[in-house]
Amino acid sequence: MIKLYKALLGLLTTALLFLSPAHAAESEPKDTGKVVAQLVSSHHSAPAGSTIKVALRTVLDDKWHTYWRNPGDSGEPVQIDWRLPEGTSAGDITWPLPDAIPTGPLINYGFEGVPFFPVDITLPANAKAGEMLIIEAGVYYLVCYDVCIPESADLSLQLMIGEAELNERWDSAINRALSGAPKSGTIDAGVMKVGETVIYSFTNLPEGDFSEALFFPNDMGVIKPSEAQTVTLAENGLKISVGAEYGWNNALPERFEGVLRFMQDGAPMGVIVEAAVGESMPIGTLIGGGVAAQGSQASQSGTAPPSSLGGITLWGAIIGAFLGGLVLNLMPCVFPIISMKALSLTKSAHGERASVRREAHLYTLGVIATFMLLTLVLLALRAAGAEIGWGFQLQSPIVVGLLAVLLFAIGLNLLGLFEFGASLQNTGSRLASKGGNSGAFFTGALAVVVATPCTAPFMAGAIGYAMAQSAPVMIAVFMALAIGFSLPFLMLGYLPGLLAKLPKPGPWMVRFKELLAFPMLAAAVWLVWVLSLQAGADGVLKVLLAMLLLSFAIWCWKRAGGGLVKGLSAISLLAALMLPLTLSVSTAPAGVSLSAQGYDKLEWSPAMVAERRAAGQTVFVDFTAAWCVTCKVNERLVLEKESTRALFKEANIAFLVADWTNKNDEIARELASHGRSGVPLYLVYPPLKAGEGHNDVKPIILPQVLTESVLRAALLGE
Amino acid sequence: MEITMTLSNSLKLSAATLLGAALMTGTASAKIATGSTVSDMQVTDSNGTVHNLSDFAGKNVVLEWTNDGCPYVKKHYSSGNMQALQKEATADGAVWLSVISSAPGKQGHVSGEEANALTTTRGAAPTAVILDETGVKGRTFSAKTTPHMFVIDASQTLVYQGAIDDDRSADPMKAKTANNFVRAALASVKAGEAIATAETTPYGCSVKYGS
Repeated sequence: MIKLYKALLGLLTTALLFLSPAHAAESEPKDTGKVVAQLVSSHHSAPAGSTIKVALRTVLDDKWHTYWRNPGDSGEPVQIDWRLPEGTSAGDITWPLPDAIPTGPLINYGFEGVPFFPVDITLPANAKAGEMLIIEAGVYYLVCYDVCIPESADLSLQLMIGEAELNERWDSAINRALSGAPKSGTIDAGVMKVGETVIYSFTNLPEGDFSEALFFPNDMGVIKPSEAQTVTLAENGLKISVGAEYGWNNALPERFEGVLRFMQDGAPMGVIVEAAVGESMPIGTLIGGGVAAQGSQASQSGTAPPSSLGGITLWGAIIGAFLGGLVLNLMPCVFPIISMKALSLTKSAHGERASVRREAHLYTLGVIATFMLLTLVLLALRAAGAEIGWGFQLQSPIVVGLLAVLLFAIGLNLLGLFEFGASLQNTGSRLASKGGNSGAFFTGALAVVVATPCTAPFMAGAIGYAMAQSAPVMIAVFMALAIGFSLPFLMLGYLPGLLAKLPKPGPWMVRFKELLAFPMLAAAVWLVWVLSLQAGADGVLKVLLAMLLLSFAIWCWKRAGGGLVKGLSAISLLAALMLPLTLSVSTAPAGVSLSAQGYDKLEWSPAMVAERRAAGQTVFVDFTAAWCVTCKVNERLVLEKESTRALFKEANIAFLVADWTNKNDEIARELASHGRSGVPLYLVYPPLKAGEGHNDVKPIILPQVLTESVLRAALLGE
Repeated sequence: MEITMTLSNSLKLSAATLLGAALMTGTASAKIATGSTVSDMQVTDSNGTVHNLSDFAGKNVVLEWTNDGCPYVKKHYSSGNMQALQKEATADGAVWLSVISSAPGKQGHVSGEEANALTTTRGAAPTAVILDETGVKGRTFSAKTTPHMFVIDASQTLVYQGAIDDDRSADPMKAKTANNFVRAALASVKAGEAIATAETTPYGCSVKYGS
């Protein structure tokens, strides 16, 4: 069919050559094998010094393709070598919009069908009217389908100097090609490399459908063409993530040019974009999940939209968050606070029930307000392009330091060293009850703050789901979490029978309260340990000094001295609070030790996973952090047991550790790709089998609460 | 509680396994980062001999992805460039493995005998020709083009990957004058120097993998 078409075309053009004037504004078409190549001109004749358009027109055999300026994984671009009369100059090729053409597992950037390659030709100013210019070009292209063939041709056309006379056919064809080619637009773009991923962000988009947008960089070595590009739409733009190539290891230009391809009115369209290196555009709130697109083949294997990750639905996430919130009440760092509140309710239980209910409401309000505040901070950071997840608060040594001081203060309070709001209570019973109210609100807030490191097992999936969704969904999920968290208290307020079941108040309550100081102080000790990993010995010194100053401030305050003593107290307190603010991540963060407990643990990276799998090993990945309680429990009870160590050794399983103690975008993204936003996460990859690519098999995700039997079954494939 | 937990865990596990199985598709693999250790990979040569990359520890290893039908491969063989480089490298103690990842029925796919005949007729001098018709080795290395070159040093570290030289055309005349990255990498390794260009974008025909 194509052959016939080409033969006819040849005949027709030959016939035209005889019919039309000698200067036919086109070269003879040359059949180079898989391609018929021809030079065509917008003009039969044109004045000296004017600029006309000449295009290389190529008619490709069905299914064969030639290559764009950046050919992608393989191939070579179309090339035109002009041989022009003196004084004549040629501009650059206006490249057509490329397609992503899959070849097996590879992706090429190129063209099928009848691509035109237009070029501006400026005629010599001193040419005389009636003069015939010969415009010649050696053209070369690699044309591939199942095999690749380099083809070339020498083409020439004649152009008369004189009054401008358009060649209607080729002028309109060239104009069509130019209007379909990518043009410079107003799109603002940034590109940065985070871990091994390149993230492009685009704002100021024209009208169009960007859900399957593709970015074609002009330069090679920037991205991996064969990797699916993950598109995430946002209110004011979009984000495209794709694997980084080696070029980022070299000195880079400040801007990368490329073409953003999308759909407009049902047709593909491209805009030339200059992306500023190292910058991220403000694209606003993300809409829905990411959608992968690239070529027909790659899109099937692209990242699934997060909405289907782990099969979690919106309702599943809400229920999971609610149950998770409920379970959080039992966490070691939260329990003392909750107990104290329950006890204070017991006291009021023997007063009016209305006040119990009011306190329960205020507590709930405090919980919800704090969760919403955290959600808003998360949303704001996410909109600013940060790759963060749940527990992000504890990646900042400042927060860890302040929390340690706070828990220490609560411990002192529980021990009876001082009373919060003691002076208020002295001023009269009305104010005292008010103090109780704000107390209930802040107890709620405090409970949430100290609960964040204890991501309860139920919550992981729900929060992971929420993080990948739009703002309203995220707020709904966190709201469910807050309600679950405050439910026990609400129940106390509404079920008077339950309240009556609580033990009667008495002197035992003082002793119980003092006893609860110790889990609190233990939590403070743990946070200081976390800090020692994040900020080193200096950080520990600072936070211990802060505790010392705080104790001193309390002691001064309790002395019924004059203004001077009170002033000293205030200064100490201020200093105690300021000190943690000076904490910073130490230059040599020693996160989770790799050699701990005689294990041969390896530092996680996608390359390490690939390498170990290729070497025939089953790979276990432990995503952990020093501040993650669940992780520590799993380590203690399962991962660092002698029997587990023996299992890893005997079965020759690689143990990889991804330490998220400090902020790490690569780990955050990996967590997100498994539908999680926090640690722990345990993955098991089977060894690479014959005929498999590295991404062919998804890892098994182990439950957040590990047991030896589950681990064993997953590792041995039992 | 404990029982429900375990039950739901195993349910989750089997669901994850099913999901994993459902997602098995043919994708390009993640490449091996330059600087990574490459060892413990079994390969079978054109004579049926099984080698393991770890057998070559202590020697430099050059991997050359090839396909005799590809014009860019022809460029380097018709000009004698590839054979010269092979002789030079092996004379210096390196192991040279030419790897053919073309799937059955695709261009460049050959039997062991055909591979040996090609070596003879072209006057090539690889240590061995590795047959990889399943494409597993190719995908593990993320080999994209023919030729696509990899240099592994004596400590089994991948020190170079990419194009054979800086002339990206199929023109045999240019093979001799181009700046050859593999020759430069081997020279740097020999001299104990850092490799100036450790990674480039390969050029040529696509590797003819089965889908």
